[in-house]
Amino acid sequence: MKAIALIAVLMTGGLLIYSIEGLPDWGDPDSPASTHVSPEYIQDALEKTATPNIVTAVLADYRGYDTMGETAVIFTAGIGCVLILRKKRKGKGD
Amino acid sequence: MLEYVVSKFNFWTYVILVGIGLYAMIGKKNLVKKLIGMNIMQSAVILFYVSIGAKKGGATVPIFMGDAHAAHGHGIHEIIDVASYVNPLPHVLMLTAIVVSIATTGVALAALILIFRRYKTLNEDEILKIRREAGV
Repeated sequence: MKAIALIAVLMTGGLLIYSIEGLPDWGDPDSPASTHVSPEYIQDALEKTATPNIVTAVLADYRGYDTMGETAVIFTAGIGCVLILRKKRKGKGD
Repeated sequence: MLEYVVSKFNFWTYVILVGIGLYAMIGKKNLVKKLIGMNIMQSAVILFYVSIGAKKGGATVPIFMGDAHAAHGHGIHEIIDVASYVNPLPHVLMLTAIVVSIATTGVALAALILIFRRYKTLNEDEILKIRREAGV
C-alpha cells in the first residue's frame, strides 16, 4: 500500500512539475490571469457597486447568486451533520 | 536552473503540499489522517490560486482607501491604477472554495464519529476485517 502511494505521488508530482513550465512567474503583473478580465473589475467595481472592497463587491454583487447557492451548500452540510449525529430513538435500527 | 526554480518557487511549494496530501490520502490507514491529507491538498490548491493573483511592484490589497467614497461617481475611472491592486478574482473564488472545503470537512468528521461509534476503531484494515467477519 505504501509503495502504491509512493508511486502515485511521484507520478502526480512529475506531472505537476512538468506543468510548472507553462505557468507565469511569481508576481508577474502581465500574467494572463491579471490581464484578461480582472482590470475591468478593478476599474469598474467602485463605480458600479459603490463598495470600496473589490473582493466584497465581486462576492456579494457580481456573483450574488453564487453566494446564495453557497449558503445552500452550508445549509445542506449542517442538515447532513445533524442527520448523521442525532440520537436514534430506542427500538429502531441498531 | 536555480533562477528558474526561484522565479516560480510558489508552484514548487504547492507540488510538495499536493504530494504530502496525496500520500496521506492513499498510504495512511487511519481515516482521520486521510481527512487531514485531503485538507492539506485543498490548502495547496487554494494557495496556488491566491498566488496566481499576486503582482510585484507595490501592488496592495484590492481595497480603495481614503476618499474613495467621495470620488465615487466623479470620473474615478481615470484615477484607479490597475497595477497598484492585486488581482481580486482568485481571492473571491477561493473564498467560495474555502466554504465548500469547510462543509465537506464537517460532514466527513460527522461520518467519522458515526464510524467510530459503530466499529470502535478508525483503522481502515480493522474496519474491513470486522465487516468481512460479519459477512457483509
